[in-house]
Amino acid sequence: MHRFRRWVPGFTDETSSSKFRIALLLLGIVAAVLAQPSQAVAQETPYFVAYSHHLEEPGNLEIEAYSIYGTQKGGPDFIAPWIEMEYGVTAWWTTELYIDTQHTFGGPDRTVFTGTRFENRFRPLMHEHWINPVLYVEFENTTDADKTLKEVVGQDTQFDAADPNDEANRSHAHEIETKLILSSDYKGWNFSENFIGEKNLGHEAWEFGYALGVSRPLRLEATPRPCNFCRENVILGAEMYGGLGTVKSFSLSGTSHYVAPIAALQLPNGVTFSFSPGFGLNDNSHTLLLRWGMSYEIAGFGHKLRSLF
Amino acid sequence: MRRLLILTLLTFSAIAAAAAGRHEHQSDDRGVWVEIAQAPASTRSWKNPYEGQPDGIAAGEKLFHQHCADCHGDDARGKHAPNLRSAGVQNATPGELAWLLRNGNMTHRMPPWAGIPEQRRWQIVAFIKSLGVETKSSASNAIPAATNTASR
Repeated sequence: MHRFRRWVPGFTDETSSSKFRIALLLLGIVAAVLAQPSQAVAQETPYFVAYSHHLEEPGNLEIEAYSIYGTQKGGPDFIAPWIEMEYGVTAWWTTELYIDTQHTFGGPDRTVFTGTRFENRFRPLMHEHWINPVLYVEFENTTDADKTLKEVVGQDTQFDAADPNDEANRSHAHEIETKLILSSDYKGWNFSENFIGEKNLGHEAWEFGYALGVSRPLRLEATPRPCNFCRENVILGAEMYGGLGTVKSFSLSGTSHYVAPIAALQLPNGVTFSFSPGFGLNDNSHTLLLRWGMSYEIAGFGHKLRSLF
Repeated sequence: MRRLLILTLLTFSAIAAAAAGRHEHQSDDRGVWVEIAQAPASTRSWKNPYEGQPDGIAAGEKLFHQHCADCHGDDARGKHAPNLRSAGVQNATPGELAWLLRNGNMTHRMPPWAGIPEQRRWQIVAFIKSLGVETKSSASNAIPAATNTASR
């Protein structure tokens, strides 16, 4: 608890017991739901940064644990694990909560809690089309020590991440992030294009970025027999992302860009493993961003929760 | 503390309430539910490449259990979503069912399944059509096809 208190900004003795009780209540509810068997395989694409138009199935909860390892010029390398909880409220609305942490290999305050993000995605069109739009809105309450790099915008460069944690974690940012997600499926391939606009609510200019993704399962048909390590469960793809400057200077000048192949294994029991080595494309970029993670789909979470009350 | 607790419980109640809801079906003159019959007329002539193929049906059954069974039930007789053995579904053409799988019925919580490849959606349709229409006598005697083929 002491250690936790030290990580979390604003976590004092007064708030600790109430937060602890709330956390226990949430854990109890989730444990009761998990005790009921479920099996579901999500149809989501394996991207770490880009989004497709495929939302969480209604009533399903996906719990995801991801990490990123980054090399750092002018400072020690870092690893930033984060947890995502993604819930399908309806077939056209998915909501998601992120909890971000970070560990830097050296310097003071090596391990820190860096904040939370709350995201919503909406599908405005009720049928599939050649290009399917999704609207994305996220509120971020993070510190400058957040290094999950879930998006790259404006003139974000690797040098922003070189500040020591004790210094960076003192600076809080409240940001609104919006995305226009465009995505298409064609003959088993998914093509996704995201246009990102991010605004720091502290009177800073809008920053822009992009993310592109392409992916395909290794085998399109399913085999009759259940299998874990077979081609139909493997999805390969790649994504590319980077900044596009700000509203004052919309350009590639001073921005960073990355390309990252991706591999994912979707097991029939609802567990998915993902891996992606990302490579910086210019001097402003981190040389290597290694991402990996695991997710678990809890089918019918909403119905199971309802049965508890 | 109390406000946080109330907020937490309200959130979970909202999730639970959103998961609820029943829907009465209306049928067209073929006896097909209107949600399915809204598919474009051209879909009625689409042929299922896996129709009648035992391997395709078995693969469809496997996929059904991965993607559909949680709502439609392990035996496809319906759980939180409709009974797929009912005439309103079984009277539809394979093309109409394939269209519904791809597009979903989002206003009634059926998600679009365009994220799984077209081949797999046809395999699911082959499995659903293999179940046939359930009559009262077949329902009482039935060994669910789902169980039947799963045990092979």
